[in-house]
Amino acid sequence: MQERHVLTEREINRDLLGFSLTTPRNFWLAAIPLGLMVALMFSAVGYMIYWGIGVTGLNRPVMWGFMITNFVFWVGISHAGVMISAILRLSHAEWRRPITRAAEVLTVFALATAALFPLIHTGRPWRAIYWVFPYDFSRGIWPAVRSPLIWDPSAIFTYLTGSSLFVFVALIPDLAVARDNSVGWRRTFYGLLSLGYRGTTRQWRLQLLAGILLSALILPVFVSVHSIVSWDFGMSLVPAWHVTIFAPYFVIGAVHSGVSAVVALMVLLRWAFHLQAYLTPDHFDAIGRLLIAVGNTWFYFFWLDFFFALLAREPDEVAVWELRLFHWPYNVLFAIFLITAYFIPVPLWLFRRVRRSIPLMLLTSISVNIGMWLERFLIIIPGLQWKQPLTFNWFGYRPSIVEIILVTGSFALVAFGVLMFSKFFPIIPLFDIKEGQKLRHDLRIGHRQVPGVIRE
Amino acid sequence: MSEIHVPHRHPTLLRLTSAAVRRELLDRVLAPAATPLLLGVFAALAIIGVIGLALRVAGGYENRVAWGYTAALLAWLFMTVHGAPLAAAGLRFVKADWRRPIVRIVELCTVGGLVTFPLFLLLLPTLPPRQGRANIWFDWPGAPGAYEAVAVLFLALTGLAMLALSARPDFAAARDAATGAARRRYAFLAGGWRGTPREWDVLRRGLVLLGALYIFALAFVQFLYPIDFGLSLIPGWISAIFPAFAMLTTLQCAAASTLIALYLWRRFGGLSDYLRLDHFWGLAKILLATSLLWFYFWWADFLTLWYGRKPPELAVLQLLVVGPYFVPFALAFLLSFVVPFGSLIWNRVRISIAGPVVVALSVLLGNFFNTVRIYVAAYSVAGMGGHALEQVPPAHPPDVIDAMIVVGVIGLIALLYTIASRVIPPVSIWEVNEGLMLRRPAHYLKGEYIVVGKPT
Repeated sequence: MQERHVLTEREINRDLLGFSLTTPRNFWLAAIPLGLMVALMFSAVGYMIYWGIGVTGLNRPVMWGFMITNFVFWVGISHAGVMISAILRLSHAEWRRPITRAAEVLTVFALATAALFPLIHTGRPWRAIYWVFPYDFSRGIWPAVRSPLIWDPSAIFTYLTGSSLFVFVALIPDLAVARDNSVGWRRTFYGLLSLGYRGTTRQWRLQLLAGILLSALILPVFVSVHSIVSWDFGMSLVPAWHVTIFAPYFVIGAVHSGVSAVVALMVLLRWAFHLQAYLTPDHFDAIGRLLIAVGNTWFYFFWLDFFFALLAREPDEVAVWELRLFHWPYNVLFAIFLITAYFIPVPLWLFRRVRRSIPLMLLTSISVNIGMWLERFLIIIPGLQWKQPLTFNWFGYRPSIVEIILVTGSFALVAFGVLMFSKFFPIIPLFDIKEGQKLRHDLRIGHRQVPGVIRE
Repeated sequence: MSEIHVPHRHPTLLRLTSAAVRRELLDRVLAPAATPLLLGVFAALAIIGVIGLALRVAGGYENRVAWGYTAALLAWLFMTVHGAPLAAAGLRFVKADWRRPIVRIVELCTVGGLVTFPLFLLLLPTLPPRQGRANIWFDWPGAPGAYEAVAVLFLALTGLAMLALSARPDFAAARDAATGAARRRYAFLAGGWRGTPREWDVLRRGLVLLGALYIFALAFVQFLYPIDFGLSLIPGWISAIFPAFAMLTTLQCAAASTLIALYLWRRFGGLSDYLRLDHFWGLAKILLATSLLWFYFWWADFLTLWYGRKPPELAVLQLLVVGPYFVPFALAFLLSFVVPFGSLIWNRVRISIAGPVVVALSVLLGNFFNTVRIYVAAYSVAGMGGHALEQVPPAHPPDVIDAMIVVGVIGLIALLYTIASRVIPPVSIWEVNEGLMLRRPAHYLKGEYIVVGKPT
């Protein structure tokens, strides 16, 4: 880390708490349009519930469309937080400090948004209660616990609970600082949430221990969530879905898209909150290096998925891949998917100048997520659309305007959630930054000043 | 030698000076200790191995199952002997400071390529014609032998090139310190190295490039070999996760074999000043993570096939998991997952020297059983045609020749390693000295710490 700004505790408090303790005009400039888009999204949900699922483009045999694609996509994005926060925390990576909270918050809102979509997709969301309780109490008809569709909500709600706890535990010292720097209702609000935190040695030790324990405990949950999402597909016998690589392929794809989403979020936060002293090109460089490894592993798993379809040479499986590769519009979408998810960003990240260029990192991270959304679309829809002998009627899939609004609105919903969080809580962890400042220690070697860190 | 007090767990070589490091390590190659007993034992084992291979070749290639254990041994050698240098390449990529004393110890394993390549050539005739079985080569002329041989040769040569390049500054140091024939020998090996800034730049870039090529080559070999010599020999076994699982077990065995090598050097090679608790602890964390992933990859594979209930896939599970090879499977599961997970999860085991080494032995054994249950099972299948395994063959026990080959080939590699370590310093002098330059003792509050410089 070459570029390290020397910051006092007062400066850190002022820079990172300012947005939470005051309301600048540009907050409304962002909040109002996002709020309107979210309102439009929920209107579309209401419209769909009122008129029924027929207002979507779903039709036999494609009964999973944009909504399930979006569900998988947002579950994927939610993998950013744990990847960045838990793994980098456990591996003591110094550069994690300013980005952990944003990543964790993105996890919570992405996951909550993801969880909405299967509910909406049922058409009658109130009936989702059947996932938990018997269909019929008197006859004791329970949901099939052996179905991945039951494992899925269990995993997601475990992950959501764990992630929220993860955010909260890491937030406590900062809430205490906010309490001590505020007056009126804010002081009461932060005082209640900070749970009497005073920064005693014992409290720090407990906080640190809780952070490490939660990091270690949430990692298996993180892996299981997207694995189980992949098994929604993989446990079936649908050609091109019944693939053993799906679980790790989905997980690494989730990390690819999630970490890229964190990059985009970092750029936006840096710009909106003037965090140039906290989010430096070094951070983008480090995360770019991580993305090279993740992107290549993802591509390797993609290649295995594709290759084994050819190896098996089962006609049904080959037919689905033909649909993806050679038939309009999937062929064009497939090309866009590969180019945007891999062939543009990963080779570019190999160059240090690109990794340190903030506009280019923004563009490549958005490119990855365009590709990864299309990847989920291309896994789901062609897999269902292949023409099999027992299909009694067969239509194509064309998303309706309602589905397009729902997908667009989901992006606004996540952005709105992150914005509202950053309005009330510091989006960059104060205590982590202060700790990093304490541990920095430059070395003079020959004529050069080399940044160093204290290691226990 | 300047002495300062350093706690045992510190990632430090601070008790050593550059001159002492240089003198001590050069003495090892300029005046190596006489080890006739060790070399004699390894040479005897190597002769036994060569006799075993000669007997096996004399027995012909018609009885393919007789070659099953040799195929399993080669797969295991790819994971261990070729896997170990991954620790050097990977830790250099992430610029882990604690890599410095261990990279050469694992790079020396690349001399194993001198054994694995000829062994691979001996195994090539055991492959049945590719027509009539699922294979990855379609109708390419010369496939699979020519392409696979080139891949294995490329892997061996890349590894040796990485070793030669990283040792070049040390050869130059030996040249400058030696006289007579030794000086001429090291002058030749150093290739005119003078240590100019340009040479250092080429060295660093070259090591990164060769490291990347090595990882790529190993991933490629671990893609080709498991498919051609394992999966494609069992009708109905289509599992896209299998090459990824092979690569994962390679990472696990890389950590395990590095731990064993470090222990042997520390215990019997007089390198206890260089190989400290931190190295064992760091590798133990990698071993724990990869052991968890071992289970995850195996479970993703097993669950998809078991849940699908397709008869060809159930027949494969019958062969590899619950049927004739249940014992090797159970041992593999126990030793590669249960033992490492159950023991390394505890701090007292993980943060020790003996604990990770015992677990590493367990992991190496477990993965050997895993290769046995896959490759011996694959070699015991009679018919290649069709989409399903029609008859599950009985287990094939090893004979005396198999034992001779396994023990002998390992002995031969140990012999080559020992000879190489008498010519090439087993610890990279220049990397250790670079590390000494980048660290300083520091006091912070009441503690004593190390400041590690992190130049970009």
